[in-house]
Amino acid sequence: MSKMTSRISDELAQAWTVTLKDIKVYYLRPGMIMFGFLMPFFMFFSFSVRREMAAGEGMARLLALTIFFTAAAAGPFIIPTERRMGTYDRLLAAPMSLMTLLLGKIAVGAFFAIVVASVASVIGILFLNATVAQPGLMILGIIMGAFTFSAMGLIFGSIPTNNPGDVQMPSTLIRWVLLFISGVFIPLSQMSPVARAISYISPLTYAQDLMNHAVLGMGELNLWLDIIVLFLSGILFLLPSIKLHKRGRVLGY
Amino acid sequence: MTNAIEVKNLTKYYGKFLAVDKINFTVEKGEIFGFLGPNGAGKSTTQRMLTSLLTPSEGQIRVLGHDYAHDAYPAKGQIGLVPEESNVYTELTAWDNLMFTGRLYRMSKEDRNARAEELLKIFGLWEKKDVKAENFSKGMRRRLSIAMAIIHKPALLFLDEPTPGLDAQSARTIQKIIRQLSTEGTTVFITTHQIEEANQLCDRVAIINQGKIAVIDTPEKLKQTFQQVQSVEIAFSENQEGLKQKLTALPEVSSVIKVGDKWRLYNDSPPALLPHLVKFAEEENLGILSLNTLAPSLEDVFLQITGQEVGTMQPAPASPNKKRRKGGKR
Repeated sequence: MSKMTSRISDELAQAWTVTLKDIKVYYLRPGMIMFGFLMPFFMFFSFSVRREMAAGEGMARLLALTIFFTAAAAGPFIIPTERRMGTYDRLLAAPMSLMTLLLGKIAVGAFFAIVVASVASVIGILFLNATVAQPGLMILGIIMGAFTFSAMGLIFGSIPTNNPGDVQMPSTLIRWVLLFISGVFIPLSQMSPVARAISYISPLTYAQDLMNHAVLGMGELNLWLDIIVLFLSGILFLLPSIKLHKRGRVLGY
Repeated sequence: MTNAIEVKNLTKYYGKFLAVDKINFTVEKGEIFGFLGPNGAGKSTTQRMLTSLLTPSEGQIRVLGHDYAHDAYPAKGQIGLVPEESNVYTELTAWDNLMFTGRLYRMSKEDRNARAEELLKIFGLWEKKDVKAENFSKGMRRRLSIAMAIIHKPALLFLDEPTPGLDAQSARTIQKIIRQLSTEGTTVFITTHQIEEANQLCDRVAIINQGKIAVIDTPEKLKQTFQQVQSVEIAFSENQEGLKQKLTALPEVSSVIKVGDKWRLYNDSPPALLPHLVKFAEEENLGILSLNTLAPSLEDVFLQITGQEVGTMQPAPASPNKKRRKGGKR
């Protein structure tokens, strides 16, 4: 095995080690359950009560909402908590690249979102009696959305602070704003031209549209556009996280 | 290569605040090197830069032959780090904490298991291997934290305040392990307030004050350099009012402090002081219970260098004194 291949293999194994450790340590913590599991369901049901909605439409909405909210909840909770406990230093001092550490952290949020989205799928199929037009596309959408929005959450987690509260509130606020401009509660087709133009800057718009394609069999936007934008967003979200980590290393976090 | 650490003109600013000011030093392989200084002197900032957790503002760091400015990665695999606060995962068992660290350092399963068992037995935690660290005492967490730092047999171990706040047994165990590691060839870099611990453990010490290294030498050579802080320690049969002032007025006494039921009189020539003291006791009708001449301690040297008055040094608080400023520690 060449030196480079060996290094990549080591780094992937280290990323997986970080992910497994975080799953054990954080998945059942109250902050994760509250912000990552309960909140998206509460939000869905509070916005769905007394609104006429087809089962499939409800399921697509629930899926987009849970993937988005749950995946993005992990980073702002876990990293500042680890900084406060001093355990993040253990990871930063370990022989792995920053990218490896970030990938491990992204996977934590992504897997959490995939589990919660699976619950949402069961609810949609069993309780809302929804049918899924393209199950394969739905699985792809869940996975892509989970990784992309976990990378988004990581940006907040990378802000140099030891206090989870410093980043959880702003990250929750921004997620709320994105929910309202992204066609989750108000479909793109019912938006004014200005609102619709604004919605195009949010990656959640494309995740919602992808879910519409998968569950309803139709969306407002081109399916490939949804996939490409989600993929590129996930990569682009890494850049501010890297920059913020480097800034944290200068400031002493 | 004989140096484990080489530091040249290392400087760190937090904004406009200068925390570490162009320091230079080397640590030889296999050495136990003590890094002493008062609170806020720049000890932890220096250690965080040496462990690649903090980016220097200026200067060069070479650790185990690797230049950090070029690539810290090769050195990181050979370093162990024990921060001031025991950073174990409290939700995991002692065993899982060690397994996680072993995996992070890419140890094979066989090596991980064997080394974890060995360390848990050495640190007296084997019986508690399946207990979550949240149920551990401070001393047990400290021991586990050190075990995690050395599971991969690092060539260089950084310890930040390894023993303050621990019971005597835990502190002794940790000191014994540090000596053992040094015997086996591990270089140990200790940041500490515990002057006597540094005196007992370290081959050489550096004293840093206000971001600058004031002195580097062996503890014994440092003590010889500071003969002016020799002292005479005397215990009288009774304590009179105004005794401190009277003792201070004796010839050749530079300062006087009370140490428990004894008085310590600092001067640069204890033999010359003894006749004056005996005469003083007779004149004041004081019985002498004990009388000893003392060479300067490393603490005396430390206090002289850092500008603190001899005898005023207080024990370091357990940890809150090192709250992160803007997240960073000085």
